[in-house]
Amino acid sequence: MKRLSPSPWPGLALLAALLFPGIATAGNQQMLQLLSILRDNGTLTEEQYQQLVLAMDEEEPAAAPSAPSSPGITTAPDIQLTTEGGVGVQTMDGRFGMRLKGRVMTDAALVQDAVPNVKKGEVKDQLGSAAELRSVRLGLEGWFYGDWEYQLEVDFAGDDTNVGDAWLGYSGFDRSRIRVGAIKEPFGLEEQTSALNTTFMEPALPGALVPGRNVGIAYDTHGERWSLGLGLFGEGLDDGDDNDVGDEGWGGGFRATYAPIAGARRALHLGLAANYRTYGANPDYEDSRLRLRSRPESHVADTWLLDTDDDLVAVDAATRLGLEAAAVLGSFSLQGEYLQAGVTRGDGQPDLLFDGYYVYASWFLTGESRNYDARHGEFDRIRPLRNFGRGGPGAWEFGLRYSALDLEDEDIEGGVARNFTLGVNWYLNPQLRLMANYIWVDTEPDVFGNDNDPRILQLRAQYDF
Amino acid sequence: MMRGLLTGLCLAAGALLCGGAAAATGAPAGTEPAVRTHTLVIGKVSSNPRKHYLRLKPMVDYVAERMGALGITRGEVLMARDNAQMIQYLREGRVDWVTETLYSAVLYERAGVAESILRKWKKGVAEYRTLFFTRMDGDIRTLADLRGRRLGLEDPGSTTAFFEPLMILRDEGLEAVPLSGPRVAPPPDKVGYALAGGEINLATWVYKGLVDAAAYNDLDWNNPDHTPEALRRELRVFHVSEPLPRAIELVRSSLDPRVRTRLIELLLAAAEDPEARSVLWSYQRTSRFERIDGEMRGAIRAYHGVLGDDDGGGDP
Repeated sequence: MKRLSPSPWPGLALLAALLFPGIATAGNQQMLQLLSILRDNGTLTEEQYQQLVLAMDEEEPAAAPSAPSSPGITTAPDIQLTTEGGVGVQTMDGRFGMRLKGRVMTDAALVQDAVPNVKKGEVKDQLGSAAELRSVRLGLEGWFYGDWEYQLEVDFAGDDTNVGDAWLGYSGFDRSRIRVGAIKEPFGLEEQTSALNTTFMEPALPGALVPGRNVGIAYDTHGERWSLGLGLFGEGLDDGDDNDVGDEGWGGGFRATYAPIAGARRALHLGLAANYRTYGANPDYEDSRLRLRSRPESHVADTWLLDTDDDLVAVDAATRLGLEAAAVLGSFSLQGEYLQAGVTRGDGQPDLLFDGYYVYASWFLTGESRNYDARHGEFDRIRPLRNFGRGGPGAWEFGLRYSALDLEDEDIEGGVARNFTLGVNWYLNPQLRLMANYIWVDTEPDVFGNDNDPRILQLRAQYDF
Repeated sequence: MMRGLLTGLCLAAGALLCGGAAAATGAPAGTEPAVRTHTLVIGKVSSNPRKHYLRLKPMVDYVAERMGALGITRGEVLMARDNAQMIQYLREGRVDWVTETLYSAVLYERAGVAESILRKWKKGVAEYRTLFFTRMDGDIRTLADLRGRRLGLEDPGSTTAFFEPLMILRDEGLEAVPLSGPRVAPPPDKVGYALAGGEINLATWVYKGLVDAAAYNDLDWNNPDHTPEALRRELRVFHVSEPLPRAIELVRSSLDPRVRTRLIELLLAAAEDPEARSVLWSYQRTSRFERIDGEMRGAIRAYHGVLGDDDGGGDP
């Protein structure tokens, strides 16, 4: 233990300061020197010294600020109010802020050439034309004390209220952030890119293989041209154990991206992701089950043409792998992914492998470029060179996608499909876009000879702030 | 025991002193300016305080952690909406240290509230130049040919695509007048300029003949993201400026000279300090700082006379 200083001077100096406030108020420097002496001789710990200095800093009286070599002053920072449809407010020191955000996606689909959807010889449902509110989401994101962040999104579309991102994060590390809450697991380029910014209305068929959003903890870091995300998650957004049938599953994985080229109008993206997940006991069946399924790239046409249904029983784990690539060359871009899910099962059942891929090309008639974010390995919002109105055309984008998914292996007959999609997007301004997709669905006939190859024209009006 | 008593006494004294001091001001903390001798504040003009907070905070923390001997114990960030507000902050002593481009630096120096101390190699670049360009098949060969023609510039806050071009025109004896749009005809004896708001817009304006010429910096000219190769092939540079410092660090004129000296020491040594590597990267990917030599100082001063009395409110 450090020996106590026998000198009476520090105590006397403090006493003098107490008795003669003039000394204290006239001499911040003197007081600081005094505190330094007390710290240096061991009377004050470093922590106590810092506390006192900070207290002085916050409470010292005003002085003439413009005198030569004068100390600085501090006052409450100004507030900046911003809006791009929603409302954002932040302090001008950047330490506190929040933004109200939201989105509305209104879809309609016209379905042609659909036949009843038959599974195992039974008619389950049939694709049909319809209109729906695809997404009606309100959210709040913000930050406080500089390094703490949060986000909360709730979607009210359909019959349910669904939580989107809901997390608390800390970004005080070097180019890194850690988050806890409901978060998308780090997997897949199309999955990580916001639905507001994807080229097509719905994810490609292999989207059935991504692990999606779960409750857990995630760490992400980045450089100028790379990103890395890690995470450990539970299963689903609820407790997963409300029927007391055992533990819920858990999963973990990573996604790494690298951009050899990362310019505003030229980019090359490469990505790799892996994910391991176990599955908890299903409350209805009391064993662990996994269901993989896919709509025909249309949410309005609400039928699962590909579906492993309840056939994947006694599942031990699924191991997912994702490979990503994308290139942006001015107004032209290419993007593709290969995703696979290997499933191991108990009870002597053979292992399974399901996989899928997609490739697509996009081209902007009006000269814009897809907005690649190399620090996060995803695509951001399109900003038209000239917004629609007053002679401006907005941005016009054309896309063509081919996607395939195979959910058949060994004893599992989930189906196989290959889709072509032609897409047209009209970005009237950065917040508003109209979309049209025409989808040629090509499913392979099942063992009963049932074949369902509809054509779907679907439209979307999307606004967000 | 004795140590505990002394510690308690000291803490109590600190609390009393600070409480008494606050009472003496007659106002609660936060409503009246309070002297800060232990916080170093870095500032920048910004329309996105959050973004610049994340870029500047690691740097001001790095510096503040190394100024303990001067009584500096922490670093903070404060953004201004525009140059006029930053000048006010510097005058009032709310900001100690500013990182900006040449245009803003000249404004602050001219207002007498700040002094340039170092050149910053922002994004690894020490200097850049303003280029004037026209269509490959155009008849403009020299600056004098701009008389009676339309020039495209970016926005009033731009150093190389507004401030520097206007200064060059002035030095050539050409009077520049603003136009309400690129299609407006300029006076026959003057250069009319219109604002495009971005580099790619300027290149497109010249290519499509909306303006006769335009000006921006060589970094944007050589970046295909800002000047697509297909456009650049159709354009021709007819004047290149002297090099300009890419970015400048300034301190307020009334800053404690010891703090100023220590800041310069720390920034000059940062490029060699492994602990500063990530800090520099965050700080607009700065590769190093260097002293402002006599030649650069003279060049900065030469700009002081360029600005009119009503300048100072632009947002770079």
